Amino acid sequence: MSDKPRALVLTGDGINCESETAVALRMAGFEAEIRHLNDLISEKIDLDRLSSRYAALAMPGGFSFGDDLASGRVLALKIQCSLGWDLPKYASRGGLVIGICNGFQALIRMGVFGKDVSITHNVSGKFLDTWVKVAPAGTHCAWLRGVGTMDLPVRHGEGRIVLATERRSEALGKMDRAGMLCLKYEGNPNGSEERLAGLCDATGRILGLMPHPEAFVRWTSHPEWTAQPGRASAPGQGLALFENAYQEALNARA
Amino acid sequence: MFARIEVAMRPDFSDPAAEAFLRKTELAHPELFAKIRWARMMEVYWLDIPVAREEAIRAIHSVFWDRVLQWLFTGNLIPSAAGKNGGIQDLFEAAPVRPGEFWALERRYRSGVTDNVGRTVIEALEIVLKQPLPEARASSGNLLLIEGAGLNEDLLAVLARDLYCNELIQTWSLVPASELKKSDRFHQERIKRDLPKVSFRGGSEVEEYDLTSLSDDELQALSKKKLWALSLEEMRAVRDHFKKRLDEGKGKPTDVELEVIAQTWSEHCKHKIFAAKVNYSERAKNTLIPRHIDGLFKSTISATTSEMAKPWLLSVFSDNAGIVAFDEEDAFCIKVETHNSPSALDPYGGALTGIVGVNRDILGCGLGARPIFNTDVFCVAPLDYSEALPERLFHPRRILDGVRLGVEHGGNKSGIPTVNGALVFDRRYLGKPLVYCGTGGFLPRVIAGRPCESKEVIPGDRVCMVGGRIGKDGIHGATFSSLALDESSPMSAVQLGDPITQKRMADFLLEARDAGFYRAITDNGAGGLSSSVGELATLSGGRGGARIDVARARTKYPGLKPYELVVSESQERMTVVVPPEKLAAFTELASRRGVEVSDIGEFTSTGLFEIEYEGRSVARLDLEFLHKGAPRLVLDAFWDGRPAVAGASMPTGRRSFLEEGSSALLALLSRPNIASKEWLIRQYDHEVQGTSVVKPLHTAFPGTPMAFSGPNDAAVLKPKPTSEAGIVVSCGINPKLSDIDPFLMAQASVDEAVRNALCVGAEFGGPDSVLALVDNFCWPDPVGDPAKTAWLVRACYGLRDACLALSVPLVSGKDSMKNDFKGKLNGNPVSISVPPTLLMTAVGRITDVRAARTADFKNTGDAIYLLGGSRLGLVGSEFQLLCAENGSVLPGTGKTSEPDWEEARRIYQWLGGTNGREQQRIRSLHDVSEGGVLCAVAEGLIARGLGAVIRVPDGMDLWEFAFGEGFHSFVLSTADADCGALEAEWIANSIPFAKIGAVMSQERLDVSFEGNTATWSLPIRQLRTAWQRGGYWE
Repeated sequence: MSDKPRALVLTGDGINCESETAVALRMAGFEAEIRHLNDLISEKIDLDRLSSRYAALAMPGGFSFGDDLASGRVLALKIQCSLGWDLPKYASRGGLVIGICNGFQALIRMGVFGKDVSITHNVSGKFLDTWVKVAPAGTHCAWLRGVGTMDLPVRHGEGRIVLATERRSEALGKMDRAGMLCLKYEGNPNGSEERLAGLCDATGRILGLMPHPEAFVRWTSHPEWTAQPGRASAPGQGLALFENAYQEALNARA
Repeated sequence: MFARIEVAMRPDFSDPAAEAFLRKTELAHPELFAKIRWARMMEVYWLDIPVAREEAIRAIHSVFWDRVLQWLFTGNLIPSAAGKNGGIQDLFEAAPVRPGEFWALERRYRSGVTDNVGRTVIEALEIVLKQPLPEARASSGNLLLIEGAGLNEDLLAVLARDLYCNELIQTWSLVPASELKKSDRFHQERIKRDLPKVSFRGGSEVEEYDLTSLSDDELQALSKKKLWALSLEEMRAVRDHFKKRLDEGKGKPTDVELEVIAQTWSEHCKHKIFAAKVNYSERAKNTLIPRHIDGLFKSTISATTSEMAKPWLLSVFSDNAGIVAFDEEDAFCIKVETHNSPSALDPYGGALTGIVGVNRDILGCGLGARPIFNTDVFCVAPLDYSEALPERLFHPRRILDGVRLGVEHGGNKSGIPTVNGALVFDRRYLGKPLVYCGTGGFLPRVIAGRPCESKEVIPGDRVCMVGGRIGKDGIHGATFSSLALDESSPMSAVQLGDPITQKRMADFLLEARDAGFYRAITDNGAGGLSSSVGELATLSGGRGGARIDVARARTKYPGLKPYELVVSESQERMTVVVPPEKLAAFTELASRRGVEVSDIGEFTSTGLFEIEYEGRSVARLDLEFLHKGAPRLVLDAFWDGRPAVAGASMPTGRRSFLEEGSSALLALLSRPNIASKEWLIRQYDHEVQGTSVVKPLHTAFPGTPMAFSGPNDAAVLKPKPTSEAGIVVSCGINPKLSDIDPFLMAQASVDEAVRNALCVGAEFGGPDSVLALVDNFCWPDPVGDPAKTAWLVRACYGLRDACLALSVPLVSGKDSMKNDFKGKLNGNPVSISVPPTLLMTAVGRITDVRAARTADFKNTGDAIYLLGGSRLGLVGSEFQLLCAENGSVLPGTGKTSEPDWEEARRIYQWLGGTNGREQQRIRSLHDVSEGGVLCAVAEGLIARGLGAVIRVPDGMDLWEFAFGEGFHSFVLSTADADCGALEAEWIANSIPFAKIGAVMSQERLDVSFEGNTATWSLPIRQLRTAWQRGGYWE
């Protein structure tokens, strides 16, 4: 068996970005395994087994359970009730988590970012596929270390991050102080609070974001790349997130 | 216990669903919109969960309620779940006017209609309660709250019917405010009544028919009554066949047998028109088309491909989709379907099942392929249609709205990028919208040791139905689509798809495929099990055969009759041929993946399709008769010749290009057929799977306030992380030319599809260049109409002519021949037929995606060329339609563009990399299509905000140069320094070209003519505004 750090990529129940997420993790150096949720449940991969086997967990984009009831809600219930994963504990033991788009929505529903944050339909009421500029805020998030402004695609109908109205400023202040407000749009494609594109947990090891870094690992994915054909063989800007995680995983092992 | 749960977005947050409803109201019924002051959209759930009250409450808490976002109204179940009053009146307090006049419209699915959210609710409850709940039931709906002055029951009924509810699949009721404030609707008995159990009377009975004594009239009446869509000749053939059987003492035909025959012989499944003998004649004597045609499909479509030797063609026409080699290891496949009739009745459900249906064609192609892209083309009437609508027809806005959403859900939720498409407007699509859904797939060339294109069935193999369950939905879909749409079209012909059940099934099947668990696979589409098992049975042993017991198939609810089980088109089902020794492993994997498998029988070598119900024989059909017994249709065709020059017999004359040229350009850019489709494209995920190289739109300065997009000609995907080779997908469609000559229309559609593929960098012309076409005919019914039949003949021969000339094979196709509406308008009979429409879809390979091209001009100072361009004409152009609508004369020489395939080959072989080596110097390439050269130039400028100066070459008619459309033409740009190298190659290859201008930094388009003595100019901003305005809808 290879001695590379291993990453677990979830699939099943309507998750649909597992392949490209695994490709991005492999390009960064990980040994990435795509595993069906039902297999993890029947093999009883509890938090301890998750921690001992995998340096990183990726919850890819998709339409788990068709976004019925609310995006990511039933997936979150399935992970909590059937696998019992306590992801903050996984992170505190050194594990790294990335939730992209639907994976991020599930992380929010699982309460990883606290009880006062939620995510709902874009203000426009429409699904939107477009490229945005996002910039990391602060240096707390392990996945975003050293990353500058990036062009990434968003592809979602429910990306508007909201906060409990009656505790809004209190919650924002708390999250800000903990370094959790880690990724912001330059514009605001969905009406998110504070132009938030992503959040991390207090350890900085769990990142959830609406844009898709795995969709920009080669330059030819960029919507404007043909204007600079000289860069056609270059890597995309999203790859840096996965490379950061790989370094982090090596460091955690050392 | 029973529960009714109402979920409301807290008033602190905007409610996009209600706002979308209001936007639609504003467009469709401005007078009602003016009365509405406030609206909120709530979700409603009806539950029957057989667990204790406390447990149920706990589950409801976690499944339904997001405390940050929502209030929950449950009667008294969860009292703390709302605002200070704990009820719906808390929501009313957020309305701007108090005390307001409140109304509510409740909507829900008719019982038995697929309710995907209801299914997810049960799964969520099972997860939370950690137990299977086979007896639990859930149904989903909405409650729309409206506050406004002067509304009444009649006005709200208009809103409900026109904008809120499709009464074919949903019901609605008006709830007055007084009722809302009470909690009666939460009472157990009331919810129980609101959540009826679906069941049907009857079950296993089988009817027998004595056809021997029936007269011709009675035979026809029976076919019509039973929706079999069989002609008199066919009914006679059936009668005679069964008379022989009766004489042999083997019994009368059963309803199951007759239904299976009707499905198998339907136009939809059998393509009788394309197989018919055609007697063709024209007014002109010097026709190139034969007098007697022995089947159009055989003579023009399959013959065209078999006349070309292409070693990379792995499977054509014989399977669900055509299969083409991609490289030594992998292959790709393509199929395009239409779902016109269902989309006319239920645009959302029709389009959704269209897209998930064609996805299944790919899953069932060869040994099974993974869908990697979708492509969609919609043809609808203009969205600003404002005249009275014939009965039972929907407004084109409503059609497009539903179709758009159906494809959004079908594509996005399945994780398949929508990479290409088109939107075509013509008034005649009011009668039937055309909804083309195409899917491409990718598969290894060798799967579990066998070639990917093989389909093998061995007697003794099991017949397994996989995926969804059977219901009444979609009974008679195949025969229904083989009839004209009329007021009595059946409701059961409509189905709703379930993308998540299908996604689970697809993931499972690809795993089972790689493990070698099955020997063959096909989808259950039109005709259901009768078609899928009936077709696979022909592969079993020498004579073929299958024996199934339909009582073993899983159903959605009890009470389905044997014939219904056989012909139902319920979605998300595949039929899989599993060797008996692999059955255990196959079903075990399925259960781990949450996918249901029904083992319903076995393949045999008896030559019979035998169907049983609980062990009792209900059908014994001779396969030979079933597949070859249909009498052949004979059609007469007569072509009267092209209409007089200028097509629509409009006046021609001189017009001043100086005075009217710029306004014509702006008007063209705003025309729905040309205008931006960005509003539509961005609601589809065109990048999932991470393969995107050339997207539907190019974008300059993405993510900034300066970000603008322009159109690309085709999509490029990079399907393998380990290879730089890519797949190109494009299309061509030009129904307006059918009004001149369908022969020309077909030639133009092929040329456009190929040109679009070349624009982005497809290979062309070499012995190993991979480029293939798919044809999709949507026709007004040609049976008994020699003119319409002649249109079909001419289109087929135009198609053949263009494909042979360019040496591009056809690999798959489909036809839909009954695109007519017969109904009433203001009590008078009215019939509307679509224009003959041929969609050509091209799929090809690009050697290295890093050499892909887009349509936008890139740099100031670059030279602009018109490549080809010697055959542009205004007759049959979008500009001609514009003149006709404005009542103005058509300028120009009155000529139609005609192809010159010799010239085309020279241009395309150079662009496709077979001749020359300077192609990498091309900076942008865009085909000249709707709107002509100036629209093509404008489209290349709109995104980046660069400008251009265009000089009309001397000797060209100004109007024809500017707005003429036609064959083999491109707008190309290159660095000024590279002009010499490119021109040398063009001259060497006899490629016509003209340098027509240059890119400049000033943000305007200057057009100069008459030896540069006259000029007009337009700011890019104005071009952009015009292009972005036309044809917009949600």
